[in-house]
Amino acid sequence: MPLIELTTPFSEEAISQLKVGDVVTISGYIYTGRDAVLPKIIKAADEGRLAEMGIDLQGSVIFHTAVSPAGVGPTSSNKVEIESSLEPLSRHGVKMHLGKGAISKPTIEALKKYNAVFAVIPPVTALLESQTIEREVVAFSELGMEAMNHLKVVKYQAIIGAAKGRSIYD
Amino acid sequence: MISIQEKVADCLVRAGSTFREDQKDAYRKAIAIESSEKSCWVMRQILDNALVAEERRSPLCDDTGIPHLFLELGKDRSVTGELLEQIKEGVALGLRQLPGRPMAIMGDDYARIDQSGGLNEDSGALAPSPILIKPINEDVLRLTVLMLGGGPAIRGITQRVFHKHSVDVVIDEIVNRAKEGVSKLGCSPCVLAVGVGRSQFEATSLMMESMVYGDFSKQTDFEKKITEKVNEANIGPLGLGGKHSVLATFAKIGPQRASGVRIVALRPCCCFEPRRACVEL
Repeated sequence: MPLIELTTPFSEEAISQLKVGDVVTISGYIYTGRDAVLPKIIKAADEGRLAEMGIDLQGSVIFHTAVSPAGVGPTSSNKVEIESSLEPLSRHGVKMHLGKGAISKPTIEALKKYNAVFAVIPPVTALLESQTIEREVVAFSELGMEAMNHLKVVKYQAIIGAAKGRSIYD
Repeated sequence: MISIQEKVADCLVRAGSTFREDQKDAYRKAIAIESSEKSCWVMRQILDNALVAEERRSPLCDDTGIPHLFLELGKDRSVTGELLEQIKEGVALGLRQLPGRPMAIMGDDYARIDQSGGLNEDSGALAPSPILIKPINEDVLRLTVLMLGGGPAIRGITQRVFHKHSVDVVIDEIVNRAKEGVSKLGCSPCVLAVGVGRSQFEATSLMMESMVYGDFSKQTDFEKKITEKVNEANIGPLGLGGKHSVLATFAKIGPQRASGVRIVALRPCCCFEPRRACVEL
């Protein structure tokens, strides 16, 4: 399968060209977040506090994972707190939500509205660990492994699971 | 001389970081015959991950799992309280070496249920499950460590089947339960671990045993039939479609009750499981 190479931050044009089933590589800085931290990030974004926290969501990727000494790996993106974050975070500039599992039609429509995509990443922790060259906690460190981290990654592979109103699970 | 603790620790690290050869071959064969490009891509990633994990002795998955222990005991061998303590210490050492995800829940009964007591930051604080002991006809004391992840635990089910004096009825019920579990698991292709016994405890013990002894290259007709029927559902790796929702079924059928009911334990193991390794102590 041909690989589409992407580097963060993503442009509107790069995202608009992606379609369901495309396999992409992701390089550059990405954020992490899952159940516990994503609602807090949305609240901070709504209150305009992200800049003071050193977080820039424009053109960004949010990887639905914990970050522990064991490494990283996707959790199910259709958990309530995670899936409900896709619309507001896309509104605040996130271009790619990286996780696993089928998401609902309304969420897919919301991604389309903001020219954002959902990508599925296999739970290949050892491989991802070998492709992660920096990691830093950027917000809500009290959440431990569920804090928001900033990772520098090299060629994570993922498949586009939802884009332009379509889903790979249809 | 290597201590019991070091042997157990090494065994746990191998369980959490290594695919066995029959497991690698199962993936290679599946990739060779799978027609869906998406499925092939997923399975190649899983196999590449296994090779990197083995080389680095690092976790296959960030859910490193709960250690489950299975001890085989020759008739001239003995188990002492001291040995069990050394095994427990070896598990803690192995979890720190892997490293395991720090996920021991702290606090009293209520705090452990609602998780209000927080997590212990020490990977080694994670307690192993109760140990299963099986007498065998070998002059050996052999420990198998299994690392069981949370996703399959969520999707697993132990429940009765009214067999109506037909094996096919039992197989069909296993298949129906498996299709639902596999489709919701996400981390497929799966291995289905099955135990059939007289009680919930016995069926679950047999299911554990199936994971200890299961071999991808040796499948009974019972196991093949279940695998083939579940694969007809076209769920595929990561639910993306394809012929390989399940790579194999590992089943253990024990003694049965003189009645119309069979208790079936089913665990849809994730794409890395059964994560297991064994060591002679």
